[in-house]
Amino acid sequence: MFLRIEGLRVKYNDIEVVRGVDLEIGKGECIGLVGESGCGKTTVGLSITRLIPGHKGRISSGRILFEGKNLLVLSPEELRKYRGSRISYVFQEPLSSLNPVFTIHEQLKEVLPKDDDVEGSISEALKSVGLKELIDRKKVYPHELSGGMQQRAMIAMAIVSKPDLLILDEPTTALDVTVQKKILELVMELKKNLGLSILFISHDLRTVFELADGVGVMYAGRIVEQGPAKTLMSRPGHPYTRGLVNSIPSIEHRKERFNAIEGRTPLFSELPEGCKFYPRCKFRIKPCREKEPFLGKFSDGHYSRCIRSKELIAHGTIKGI
Amino acid sequence: MELLKVSNLTKIYPKHKVAAIDNMDLSIDKGEIFGLVGESGCGKSTLAKSILRLTDVQRGSILYKGDDLLKAAARKMQGIRKEIQIIFQDPYLSLDPRVKIGSALEEVFLIHYNYPGPKRRKKAAELLDMVGLGKSYFNRLPSELSGGEKQRVGIARALATGPEFIICDEPVSSLDISIQAQILNLLMDLQEQKALTYLFISHDLGVVASICDRVAVMQSGRIVEIGLCEEVFRNPQHSYTKKLLDSISLT
Ligand SMILES: Nc1ncnc2c1ncn2[C@@H]1O[C@H](COP(=O)(O)OP(=O)(O)OP(=O)(O)O)[C@@H](O)[C@H]1O
Ligand SMILES: Nc1ncnc2c1ncn2[C@@H]1O[C@H](COP(=O)(O)OP(=O)(O)OP(=O)(O)O)[C@@H](O)[C@H]1O
Ligand code: SF4
Ligand SMILES: [Mg+2]
Ligand SMILES: [Mg+2]
Repeated sequence: MFLRIEGLRVKYNDIEVVRGVDLEIGKGECIGLVGESGCGKTTVGLSITRLIPGHKGRISSGRILFEGKNLLVLSPEELRKYRGSRISYVFQEPLSSLNPVFTIHEQLKEVLPKDDDVEGSISEALKSVGLKELIDRKKVYPHELSGGMQQRAMIAMAIVSKPDLLILDEPTTALDVTVQKKILELVMELKKNLGLSILFISHDLRTVFELADGVGVMYAGRIVEQGPAKTLMSRPGHPYTRGLVNSIPSIEHRKERFNAIEGRTPLFSELPEGCKFYPRCKFRIKPCREKEPFLGKFSDGHYSRCIRSKELIAHGTIKGI
Repeated sequence: MELLKVSNLTKIYPKHKVAAIDNMDLSIDKGEIFGLVGESGCGKSTLAKSILRLTDVQRGSILYKGDDLLKAAARKMQGIRKEIQIIFQDPYLSLDPRVKIGSALEEVFLIHYNYPGPKRRKKAAELLDMVGLGKSYFNRLPSELSGGEKQRVGIARALATGPEFIICDEPVSSLDISIQAQILNLLMDLQEQKALTYLFISHDLGVVASICDRVAVMQSGRIVEIGLCEEVFRNPQHSYTKKLLDSISLT
């Protein structure tokens, strides 16, 4: 396996927010990661390159095998050989990760392989993300760009080094549909032509379901369902996934209330016993509270962490208490 | 009634030859949810910042309740900042990295209302609760929040002064669908209960179509199409609007 995350656990201030995540990404595969705001998606992404913010956060256990090598035990020098060149990262917040004191051109130059035709490659990279206008504006700094332009500059930086693994954390939140399409097409082309593997973290379910080969759904720090996009969309086995799919608004909708999953996100410091989705689940029954369900297999590549998945998949809906 | 009227507004950034806002006219009625869409870099955030005088413009006027904001004295502007709030596109910009979330919200109640400590804390907690963040967030620094949590703190902060007009710049872009729904429902409820007015900037046409009354489509610093939401979306006139709508129907 190209990338394999095993039993990953991460704590911030001694509170565990990633509570045992397993995930695999094959060579040339795109895996989507979705889930509620604050459920731990970014933390999983950051763990791969060991960028969990220093003093308060730490990976408490697990292995991250990149071509069989455990990234979590590499020395900082060894790790540097992977970061940036073999594994690139598009961060959720462009401004916090672009360097404010260097121009976009300087920052692109920094990540380019040294022997390239530097100017040519920079122009190429800018063009590919729709920032042609910046080719001649060499003195432009990150804060002088619009939100969507910053996002695209960061994507350009992430792909010029021709990485093997690309981690995209909400890469298109600031992009309108036309630009978004162009960028995602570009990434998918790299995947097809160069065998790029992708971890695609996003709340844009439509796009994730369309592009990803497989999708992991996270809730409260763990994967609660995993499988091919089509299966999750049409026959989700976990009530949380069902709620998410039902919340996708249609464009027709006018001045009505939006569907939301009822109830609140649980705090990591006060997670319930048993199934973590219990307080909000429409299908809950008494045994759900006894112990946290394991990730059971329901068909080829389709897993769900719910004791009623089988019924739910079979009947589409069932009664709870 | 016209709440905001922008006339002949022009903004050119230094070092940059083309205008980010090019002789723009726009008016927004009280109680309206006004959508603003357009391609990345066309000047939407610049317009938002100009209204609050967070950036200087070269020419034009921005009338708010009849007063030109561009000519308002600092003192007057202070009062207006209580009535007009902005939810920034990048929450990173609105939150001081050294200030805990609770204190940042309390500060608003201190500056604008001079509430005593316990009342400030209560109000701040209520706001956090409204955006789905519990009391445990009170003592956290912005860096200790996820992207979507930060965005919601930005929303809570904008609501804190009890504004009449809120400029929302991509307010729900980092929220998952279900939380996004909760926040949009909250914004619509407030609009109904308090007749708030919104300038709603978003690249998500689905969201714009469902909550906005009117929508303007911007391209290179100009408004190229404007009208009632259902009309613009049903029967787009401008080529850019058509292109936008086409690319959603394909996905
Ligand atoms: N530095 C930190 N210190 C303490 N808690 C943190 C820190 N960073 C994140 N958290 C908490 O850890 C949890 C997971 O955060 P993470 O950023 O991984 O979420 P996410 O799934 O990416 O959410 P979003 O979709 O909102 O970006 C959240 O509840 C957040 O409040
Ligand atoms: N501080 C600045 N200095 C110089 N140029 C700037 C500055 N801020 C924005 N610009 C330029 O002004 C133009 C408009 O930017 P603006 O941020 O208003 O776009 P936007 O419509 O909000 O785009 P997006 O959808 O990507 O957020 C862009 O070309 C941008 O590069
Ligand atoms: S285990 Fe029970 S409570 Fe949990 S998701 Fe399944 S039905 Fe709901
Ligand atoms: Mg995140
Ligand atoms: Mg903007």
